[in-house]
Amino acid sequence: MLFSASLDVSNVWIERSDRDLCRDLSFTLRAGEVLRVLGDNGAGKSSLLKVVAGAMTPLEGRIMFNGQDVTSHRALLQQSMVYIGHGAGLKSMLTIEENLLSYCPATSPEQMQSVLDILDLANHQETYVKALSAGQSRRVALARLWLSQCPLWLLDEPFASLDVSGVAVVESKIQQHINEGGMVLLTTHQALSSVVTRDLVLS
Amino acid sequence: MTYLTFGRTQCRVLWRRKQDTVNALLFFVMVVALFPLGINPSAAFLAPAAGGIIWCAAVLAILMAIDGIFKEDFRDGTLEQWVVCGLSLPVLMLIKVAIHWFAVVFPLLLVMPLVSEMLMLPSGSFWVLVATVLAGTPCLFLLGAIGAALTVSLKQGATLVILVILPFYLPVIIFATSAIEASQVGLPYIGFVAMLLAVSLLSLVVSPFMTAVAVKASVN
Repeated sequence: MLFSASLDVSNVWIERSDRDLCRDLSFTLRAGEVLRVLGDNGAGKSSLLKVVAGAMTPLEGRIMFNGQDVTSHRALLQQSMVYIGHGAGLKSMLTIEENLLSYCPATSPEQMQSVLDILDLANHQETYVKALSAGQSRRVALARLWLSQCPLWLLDEPFASLDVSGVAVVESKIQQHINEGGMVLLTTHQALSSVVTRDLVLS
Repeated sequence: MTYLTFGRTQCRVLWRRKQDTVNALLFFVMVVALFPLGINPSAAFLAPAAGGIIWCAAVLAILMAIDGIFKEDFRDGTLEQWVVCGLSLPVLMLIKVAIHWFAVVFPLLLVMPLVSEMLMLPSGSFWVLVATVLAGTPCLFLLGAIGAALTVSLKQGATLVILVILPFYLPVIIFATSAIEASQVGLPYIGFVAMLLAVSLLSLVVSPFMTAVAVKASVN
């Protein structure tokens, strides 16, 4: 699938607990780009992703998606994005398959199996999430990247808890996504070895 | 995510975490069973008080169940995913509350004949009791969800939920027990049941939006 989308964030002002995280922040994300948000702990990287995703409201600023203002009508953007935050967003009492189907109900059994193969979870389809390690849970959360067809990915520390092979698999998926014209906005302290990124530093 | 998969997931999670529902049910039965032992087991005392005892026990059991309605979702990050999933958050809240209402109230209704007999509620008032439970408890859940959403990010939120929500429960308890009392003395009770239904319908209109706002604020 080939995507063609753009995201324009202009003059965003984010405040949290009466503390300015960023003011007058503007950036543009075009099809086929990865924007890596960098900054010290507490600089507002996760908050920026939450603002774009619509989980937080900025004090000021405008967010345009495909030329349309989505600042106050975020559903248009939300239907075209995958947001993976700090929390895995997985129910511990459900199996891996049940969790993934709750997000991506149109997934076929073959598709599910192939994604779990890629993520080295092939034998865990019926395993409850509560029985998985932190790294395995992260892999399950990231499996949504393979199962959804959204142009925009918002990834908050996607490599946290992943081992070397896990990082490589996710990096190659990010590369494939941008080759198809997708956009990725991510926060990570880790250097990406195989993906060319543009950096946005929050101070 | 779709509304259907959301509802199915909620049902699955509730089914696999049955202890929450079972705890509420056990609490309800225990409170009702202890009343006659602690105060007065005579029919002359119990029969007129039965409606009040059952309703107080039901309210406490519901408060117990409603406190944790969003706790797990907040901890595991699913609450945040609902906010950003692109579906209407008030509708998602309504679905979740409706499923929880059914999961808690249906078992209560199943034991209602037993507890009514235990408290010697006149048989003519039993169906009035059932009608008040069906008409009044949706309001308790819908209002309780607002309190639970407001306090979900707080570590000691349970006490706050009770303090915030309990005053709003009082009219429901008064209307419900008045309906049962009226039926016991042969007075018309439909007006009280209608009031309960009206309060629940009003909550149905207002609560999902307020719960959604509270959830967004908590995720923030």
